[in-house]
Amino acid sequence: MDAFVHQFRVSLNLHFRNRMALIYSYLFPTIFLIAFWVLYRYDRVPLARHMGELLTVTALGGACFGLPTTMVSERERGVWRRYRLAPVRTGTLLASTVAARYVLLVLAGLLQVALAMGVGMPLPNHPLDLWIAFSFVAFALLGLGLVIATLADNVPAVQALGQCIFLPMLIIGGVAVQLSSLPEWAQHVSAFFPGRYAVEAMQSSVTGQGLRVMGFSLLALLLIGLAGFVAGIRNFRWDAEQRFAQRNGKGWVAVALAAWAAVGLLAESRGRIGPIDIVPEYATPLSPPRTTAVAAAPSSSSSSSSSSSTTTTTIPPAAPATEPKTSAPATPSPAIKGERNTSTVPAKPSAEEAATPKPAPPAATPSTTGPPAPLPEPASWRAVTPAHIDEIMFERLPSDSGVVSPIARLDEPLDPDVEGDLEEVRSKLATWGPGQVADPVQRVRNVLYVAAVPDVFQIPLERYVAHVVFERLQGDVPKDDLIKLLYWVATHPNGGDDSAVDDLRSAGLKVNGPSDMDQTRERVMLYALKLLGRLVGKIPQ
Amino acid sequence: MSAKVIVRDLRKRYDGVEAARGVSFDIEDGEIFGLIGPNGAGKTTTLECVIGLREPDSGSIEVCGIDARRRPLDVKQRIGAALQTTSLQDKITPREALALFASFYREHAPASELLDRFGLSSKADAHFDTLSGGQRQRLALALAFVNRPELVFLDEPTSALDAQSRRDLHGEILRMKADGHTVLLTTHYIDEAEALCDRVAVIHQGTIVASGATRELMGRSSALPAVFVAATRPIEREVVASIAGADDLRCEGHTARFRTADTNRAIGQLVAALSARGIDITELHVQKASLEDIFLELTSPDAGVPGPQ
Repeated sequence: MDAFVHQFRVSLNLHFRNRMALIYSYLFPTIFLIAFWVLYRYDRVPLARHMGELLTVTALGGACFGLPTTMVSERERGVWRRYRLAPVRTGTLLASTVAARYVLLVLAGLLQVALAMGVGMPLPNHPLDLWIAFSFVAFALLGLGLVIATLADNVPAVQALGQCIFLPMLIIGGVAVQLSSLPEWAQHVSAFFPGRYAVEAMQSSVTGQGLRVMGFSLLALLLIGLAGFVAGIRNFRWDAEQRFAQRNGKGWVAVALAAWAAVGLLAESRGRIGPIDIVPEYATPLSPPRTTAVAAAPSSSSSSSSSSSTTTTTIPPAAPATEPKTSAPATPSPAIKGERNTSTVPAKPSAEEAATPKPAPPAATPSTTGPPAPLPEPASWRAVTPAHIDEIMFERLPSDSGVVSPIARLDEPLDPDVEGDLEEVRSKLATWGPGQVADPVQRVRNVLYVAAVPDVFQIPLERYVAHVVFERLQGDVPKDDLIKLLYWVATHPNGGDDSAVDDLRSAGLKVNGPSDMDQTRERVMLYALKLLGRLVGKIPQ
Repeated sequence: MSAKVIVRDLRKRYDGVEAARGVSFDIEDGEIFGLIGPNGAGKTTTLECVIGLREPDSGSIEVCGIDARRRPLDVKQRIGAALQTTSLQDKITPREALALFASFYREHAPASELLDRFGLSSKADAHFDTLSGGQRQRLALALAFVNRPELVFLDEPTSALDAQSRRDLHGEILRMKADGHTVLLTTHYIDEAEALCDRVAVIHQGTIVASGATRELMGRSSALPAVFVAATRPIEREVVASIAGADDLRCEGHTARFRTADTNRAIGQLVAALSARGIDITELHVQKASLEDIFLELTSPDAGVPGPQ
C-alpha cells in the first residue's frame, strides 16, 4: 500500500512538473471545448448536447496518448527496469500509475465541465451519474491505453498506434461526428468501438436521464476495459529490450480485441446500432405510461422521485410503434400502448431500454393484496379525472427560468423589444384560424404551438408568449375542460395534426414552422403540463 | 565464511546467442567479488539473472540462502543493485526517488542518511535531469542502499565516470566492504578489479574461464615480470636490446619497457648501459604479472575457450 501511495503521488507530481504533459492534458481539451463551442454556438444550450463527445475526446487523449506515452518513455529510459530491481509487484505499480492517470483525467473532465458552464451550460442533470459514467469511460480507455503501451516499442509507435485508434473513433466511432450524421455502415462499425458508448453514457448524465437507461453502454465499457487491463497486465514489459514482436503471450491482445468484437456483436444482436436518444430528464413528469404518450415518459416511476406521486403505477416500456397522425385523440391500443418513451424523441430506442422492465413502486391507494391496479385509461379527453392529474409529477418539469420551455415570472418586467411582438401575437391569436378549429383537442394543441415554436427557435419572445397562450386558452375553454384537454394533449404529444406550425405567421410570430417536429411536440407537451400545473394549483403562477 | 550467492550451471540464450553457458560461482559473505571479462562476455547477463532482471533458461541461483528463481521478491528485499546506467524520470528529485524506492521495501534507510552518505544533500531537491553523471551514479548507489542490503550488486558502476568520480566510487565500494556488505562487481576495467576485489571470476564467451583470489590468479599467469625505465634523454632501442633475456621490448622516447625472467641481472645491465652513455635514470620499477596479463591470456582471440572451471 505504501508503494501504491508513493508511486501514485510521484506520478501526479511528475505530471504537474511536465509542461508538455500539462499542455496535452489541459490545454488541448480546452481548445477542443472552444472548437465545439464555436462549432455549435447556435445551440439552444451551449455545449450541453456535446459534453459526452467532449469528455470522451478528453478521456481518449489522456488514455490513448497520455498514459502509454508516459509508460513507454519511462520504459525506454530504463525507469521501469530500475523498478523491477525492487520487490514491488507489477500490479501495484500499474494500479498506482493508472490511478494517477484516472485522477488526471477527472481533473481534465472537471475543467471542461467548468469551462462549459462558464459559457452558459447548465449543471449536468446527474452530476453523480456523470462521474460514474466518466469513471467507466476512463476504465475502458485506460485499459486501451495499457494495451497500446504493451504493443508500442517506443514513443513514436505510441503516437502511430494511438492515432490509428483515436481518429477512426472520432470520425466513424460516434465521438466527434454524431451517430445520426453517419451513414448506416459507419453506425454498424461504431458499435464495435468504445467511443460511442462513452459518449452515450456521459451525454445521458449531462442532458438525459442519467445512467439508469445506459446499462448496455456501461456493460460495453466495462467489458472493453476489463479485457484491456487483463491484456495490458499480462503483456506488461519492464524493459525496452523486450520487443513486442519477440514476446510470448500476444494472444492477450486478441483478448482485448475480442471484447470489442463481442460488444459490437452484442449490439448488433440487440439491434442497438442507430443513435440512442438521450431523453431529457424533464420528459418524465408523467408517471404512469398507460397511453402512447404516457408510456413515452421513460421509467419515471422507477426513480426515487416517483414516490412523490401517491398513485404511481408503471407499465414496462416496450418497443416503439409509429403513431398515425390524426386529428382525433389517439386511442390506446396494445400496439400503441407498447410505445416506449419517446414522445420527445422519435428514433429507435435501444433494445436494452426497451427490454428493461421497470418495477412498479408501491401505490398509496388502498390495496391489501397484490400490486396496485393501474388507473383505467381515459378513453377520451372527457374521461380524464383528477386522479389522472394527480399522477403527474410536476416537480420534474424543467425550471421556468431554464432554457427549455421557459416562462417569465408574472412580475418580471417585459423587455421593451419584445413588447410589440407580444402584443401582435396577443391580437392575432384571438382570431387565428387554427385556434378556432372545432375539435377542442386540436384547438388547444394548435394554440400551444404558439408557445412551443418560439421556444424551439429560442427567440426573445419565448419566455413571455406562454402567458399570452395561457390567457387565450383560459378565455376560450372552460377551466374544467381545459384541465382535461391539456392533460390529453400532454399525454398524446404525437397525436393530432401539425399543420398549424406552418401558419404561425398568421398568429403574429415571425418564424416559420420548425423542421424538427419531434422537438416541437415535446415542447407542446411541456407547455401543456406547465399550464395544467398552474390551472390545478400544482405550479405557482 | 558462508556463501551469500551460489550460482550453478546458469544458462541463458537470447537473440540466438547463448550469453551464459553453464556459469557457476560462489560469493562468500563479506567479500568483494569481481566478475570480469571483455564486452559481450556475459557479465551483465549473468548478473541480471542473479538479481532477477532476466529469467535464466536453466541453472540454479541461491542468494542469501533463498532460491532466487522461486522467490525473487524475497531476494530483492535483501539485495541492492546499481546498473550500468540508472535513469529516472527527468523531474524526479533524489529525495523523492529515495522515498519512492524506500516504500518498496519492508526495511529502509532514511533518505537524509543516504543523501549525506552519498554526497547528495546539496542536490536533494534538484531534478534528475540537472544532475551530473557522477551525481546520477551516486544516486544509483544510494538507491541500491535504500533497503540496507546484505548484498550489493554493481554492474560496471564506473564505466561512464570521470577519473575523480571513479576514484570516489572506489572509496565507496571499499567502505561497503568495511561495513560488512558483500559486493558483486562486474567490470571490464582490470585495474579496478585488481584494486577492489578479494576474488574474481573471468568470464569469456558466456563461460567462467578462471576464478579465485586476485593474487592467486595473477600468480597463475605465464607472463614474465615487466621492467619499466624513464630517463633524462631518449633511450635507444639497441641499448635495451643488448640486455640479456630482454623480451617484449618497447621503447618510446625517454621511456622503455621490457619483460625478463631475471630482473636483478637485467636491471644491473640496464643501469650500466645507460650510465656509460651519460643518461640519468629518473624512474625505474618492476611489475609482476598483473590481472590484466592473466585476463589477456585467457580472453585473447587465440586463447580458445576452455571449459568452465
